[in-house]
Amino acid sequence: MGSVAEMIALTRWILHQRALAARRDWSSQALYAVVISAGIGLFTVIALGSYVGARTLAADRALKLLHSIPSWAFLIYLFTDIFIAFGQALGDLYMSADMPLLLVMPLRTSSIVVAKFVAGVVQNEMYVAAILAPFVIGFFAGTHAPLWAYPVALLAVAVFPAMLYAVLACVTILALRYIPGRHAKETLWILGAVVPTIFWVASFSGISEASGDLASIHLPPLPNWLPSTWTGNVVAFLAQREPLPAFGWLLCLLFAAVVVCPAALAFISRSFERGWSESLMVPKRAGRVRVRKQLAQLPWIALLQKDVWVLMRTPQLWFSHITSLGFVAYLLVGHKAQTPLMPLTIQLAMAQIGFVAILAGLNPGMTALSLEHGSAWLLKSTPLDALDILKSKLAITWFQTAVVVTLGAGAIAYGYGLNSSGAGALVAFALLMALCSVCCGIAFDTTFPSFHWENPNSINRGIRMVVPFLAGVAVLLVCAAFLAMARVLLHGAEAVVVGLVLSLLTVALVAERTLRTALRNIAALEL
Amino acid sequence: MVSPLIEVDQLSKRFETTVAVDRISFSVRAGEIFGFLGPNGAGKTTTIKMLTGLLRPTGGSARLDGYDVTRQPLQAKRIFGYVPDEPALYGKLTALEFLNFIGDVYRMKADAKARRIRELLALFDLQDDAGSLLGGFSHGMKQKVMLCSALLHQPKIYFLDEPTVGLDPRSAKLLKNILRGIAESGGAILMSTHIMEIAQALCDRIAIVDKGHIVGLGTVAELRSSGGQGSLEEVFLTLTATDEERRLAALANSV
Repeated sequence: MGSVAEMIALTRWILHQRALAARRDWSSQALYAVVISAGIGLFTVIALGSYVGARTLAADRALKLLHSIPSWAFLIYLFTDIFIAFGQALGDLYMSADMPLLLVMPLRTSSIVVAKFVAGVVQNEMYVAAILAPFVIGFFAGTHAPLWAYPVALLAVAVFPAMLYAVLACVTILALRYIPGRHAKETLWILGAVVPTIFWVASFSGISEASGDLASIHLPPLPNWLPSTWTGNVVAFLAQREPLPAFGWLLCLLFAAVVVCPAALAFISRSFERGWSESLMVPKRAGRVRVRKQLAQLPWIALLQKDVWVLMRTPQLWFSHITSLGFVAYLLVGHKAQTPLMPLTIQLAMAQIGFVAILAGLNPGMTALSLEHGSAWLLKSTPLDALDILKSKLAITWFQTAVVVTLGAGAIAYGYGLNSSGAGALVAFALLMALCSVCCGIAFDTTFPSFHWENPNSINRGIRMVVPFLAGVAVLLVCAAFLAMARVLLHGAEAVVVGLVLSLLTVALVAERTLRTALRNIAALEL
Repeated sequence: MVSPLIEVDQLSKRFETTVAVDRISFSVRAGEIFGFLGPNGAGKTTTIKMLTGLLRPTGGSARLDGYDVTRQPLQAKRIFGYVPDEPALYGKLTALEFLNFIGDVYRMKADAKARRIRELLALFDLQDDAGSLLGGFSHGMKQKVMLCSALLHQPKIYFLDEPTVGLDPRSAKLLKNILRGIAESGGAILMSTHIMEIAQALCDRIAIVDKGHIVGLGTVAELRSSGGQGSLEEVFLTLTATDEERRLAALANSV
């Protein structure tokens, strides 16, 4: 079989296998309905938002700003996608269970790497459909673009993520070829969280400093070598009814995505096998250690201590905490721009840190039990009862989230110039929302435990993760309504205290219900 | 008459429409090594998982030293050690941290825990690797750590699912000696294996399981006499043969 034919056959096989796995994952009809509704909701919000925004700017003749928006929007998507794509490149190439099988088959390494690349890109199209497509549709509707522009622009956004994924796959392959496997993997995970976070904060800082009237204001120009700029140019020129430059940029995109990326990956795949082999090397042994007498712990404390060690030694698990702190930085940077629109109150700051807490607690909660991986049998065959397991899982997830949100609340209190009692209220509310988020996550994870993952960042991933997120956001909205209501009816510290007490009661109710579900699930768990 | 430490009565497990284990009954006395033989998918691991609390029986009962595994699970779990068929351990813990964790879960006193860990690490020649992360261990080394964890709190009962898989000959021999020692000191061992030689050399009694039923039970001599004095392997193949295999065997004999 020729190399291209082999590549195509393998790609088809991998895509078929993933489609089957996805279909079998979607066995719960209720979950299916929730996720589809959330997806349609997201699609509608983005499409309507971009339609209203584009229409308003067009009506105000803010054309410079209007036409600089697509490139920025795609750049923001590009950097946000780094969160996902680095992990995906590592997962698809180095941590996937089928790789040892594929490598011993009589297949060219280039075919394997390119087939994995195509499968990864196709998987990413889900985000394109949910985020980029509605943006383009809304933008075109708002600028009255011709009908033929829609399929052209949608083709451009469909191939656009391929370039990011190809670059990250190349970086991953080279990193694992030249840096010892363990360090390379951990570094790439951290980079995947840190780089987009810094980008987001820096970009937002630049935008929040922009001044001038609406007709003259425009976003800073972006480098032409970025594929997000090419895609942005396609959309902007089509919206201006200038087909020639639009098609020029589209050709550039297609050539890079369909010819350059697979060819570059096929070329760089020579390094893959060596890097794969290096990445499997056993870390250096620590040598003989003295067995010292250690204090005996209660079983649930021993389980908690074990989880602390796992957390400290697994940088992938810090990923969501880094992004949550990045969101705090984003709030601090945006504070100046936001205050004229929405005056700062302690209640608003509490709602903001509450959202950070919901985000920060999502991942620890949603992976609490599943992180046991293949060792889950130990929990059920040793004398640990369901309550012991739940206590330790709640403690580790809330503890790590509490550390992050306390730091975040402190930073917000300092940045917003709040006094010590204001800071205390912020921390208290953040801790409550963190508790709510981890409880929703634990209830979800114990309902759908997943012990057969390839890396911890792939547990409960995909659209399903919106369920505990939406639950957390719903509770936050209820608590924010209590805070606002108390502010209207009462004054000063009294309003804050009453709002906090009502939030405490709400979260206590949610925690009681979710933890009861989790306890039942743990007790009924079969392995 | 020595009372049984493991009593299994009409134990069943049904997964939706499939019956994995169908009303099996047996008992294992103190001082006995009980072998569980059977082809793949016969229900050996499912039975062990029910006895260790990983699966809930859908029928029947099981008692470990008098404790019902479904009604008194914690008391039952305190008195057994378990080695599963796959040595899945926490990759981010060192062997020493893992054993300390297990010791705490079984509420061992600090002195006894440290002494026992030292003994077991020396016994399985793991002292030099005790400070290394388990994620870097080979299959055989993980299996040794698993055995250490099962032996750590010196239980009365042991459930070992394919315990010799992955072990080098020296460690396999050591394990056999340890098991024999446990039995001589009054422990009860239920061990599943595919290796007839191990079953024949080590087990006092053997149950042959097929399609969720016990199709043969007794000492090696009893099983052999019931199967026409053939080897244990021949007895096993005869008892677990499919209808098609039996028909072909009859045809071959008649030619």
